[in-house]
Amino acid sequence: MAKIEDLKEEARKLLREGKIKYIIGYGTGSNGWMAGPVFIKNPEDVDKLVWDPTCVHNLSRFLVDEKRRKAREKQPDKRPVGIFVKGCDSRAIVVLLQEKFIERNDVYILGISCENGGVVDEHKLTRKLKGEKPKKIELSDNGQFVVTTGNGKVEFPVGELLAERCLECQANFPVISDILSGEKTKRPPEKPFGSIEKMERLSQADRWRFWKEQLNKCIRCYACRSVCPMCYCDECVVDSINLAVSADTTAEEKANKVKWVQRSAESSENFVYHFVRAIHLAGRCIDCGECERACPLDIPIRFLNKKLEKEAKELFGYEVGFDPAQPSLISSFKDEDPGDFIR
Amino acid sequence: MAEEFEPKIVAFLCKWCSSAGSDMAGVSRMEYPPNVVPIQVMCSGSVSPLYIFSAFNKGADGVLVSGCHPGDCHYIKGNYYARRRIHLVKKLLEFIGLEPQRFQMSWVSAAEATKYTQVIKEFVKELKPLGPQTKLRRNP
Repeated sequence: MAKIEDLKEEARKLLREGKIKYIIGYGTGSNGWMAGPVFIKNPEDVDKLVWDPTCVHNLSRFLVDEKRRKAREKQPDKRPVGIFVKGCDSRAIVVLLQEKFIERNDVYILGISCENGGVVDEHKLTRKLKGEKPKKIELSDNGQFVVTTGNGKVEFPVGELLAERCLECQANFPVISDILSGEKTKRPPEKPFGSIEKMERLSQADRWRFWKEQLNKCIRCYACRSVCPMCYCDECVVDSINLAVSADTTAEEKANKVKWVQRSAESSENFVYHFVRAIHLAGRCIDCGECERACPLDIPIRFLNKKLEKEAKELFGYEVGFDPAQPSLISSFKDEDPGDFIR
Repeated sequence: MAEEFEPKIVAFLCKWCSSAGSDMAGVSRMEYPPNVVPIQVMCSGSVSPLYIFSAFNKGADGVLVSGCHPGDCHYIKGNYYARRRIHLVKKLLEFIGLEPQRFQMSWVSAAEATKYTQVIKEFVKELKPLGPQTKLRRNP
């Protein structure tokens, strides 16, 4: 497991020299064992940073907020922001760079390689511990997760606790970074799209039953949208408030504004919402799994995005988040794109 | 006796080819099923996936997107973008369990009135056994 001592040292130096504005990293969360995001401005606070398999969050979302904040300031502080990234998070930054949403010198990337580990799935852990409260989770040198609970230490093989997306991860090291900790070990997954293929084998009726049940649960809290580093549009098509209302706007105009999707959390509207989200993330989603983690109803939203990632790869040979110079999936085409489905 | 189910098809036709093709079918007095609601768009590349989802949401039994043949786009490359995007939409709709026959794409040029009628005839024939689309419809 990568050690972050060098990164901390570098972070302290950068903060002391005033080369970066602040650092977004992982600290101990409020429940005592899960990591949570921390923002560090003073070099003395650098010791609050932690790195363990509970650092599930994709912190690059905060770069979106940072950009918004900077746009509002009259004299913005133009120094870069330091950010801790795992492999998946670094690819989110690549996509943000590719879309020219942020610039490379807006961020100072402190990369950590997951090496042979990854992050734990909270649900899997809870099931394994059968009600016991974990206190600390570490990755041992021989590749086991060591969970410290009130009754001592328990060891689990990595595969049993690892989040589903980590098992399907294709680059478990940061693809861009200014400073990197850990080895760039490539760990090709056995089945990069295993969970999707399992679902594709179901019959059409079973797939429909599955998704109907899942998306019926959606309460449209938009947590998946809020947590996603790629959902940064200023106006979302799902919100039906984007009508410029002036003094001359008649009540009729307001009432007749075309609503693509209703706000009510009915099955039909939920489908439109999730379709739109999936399509908007096609070729952009880097599978950080944040939407699924944030979902209060445990809807497997990730599958929709993963499915399109798979299709993009198989149909168009497009891989997300490796090259900031590559044109995006939807804004490019090739002459040899398959067209056999067209009459 | 119950009436036979007549599917309702929403067709997004590009202004320069498919719409002109359907127009030609009309002025040439060709017969084809009256189940289509044609919507003229400037280019098949301008068809947002949201139009398609919205059509299903508002009760379409089938949706057709039709544009110029590759290489013939009035805007040079709009239909190439459409081809990619529509393919992804098709895969997504199939993945959640919608019948794949309900969403089609075709290339119809301004001269292919016969092909247009053929596409519509086949589409209607495929939709009839499926019955009304209730999966994505609001208040089915």
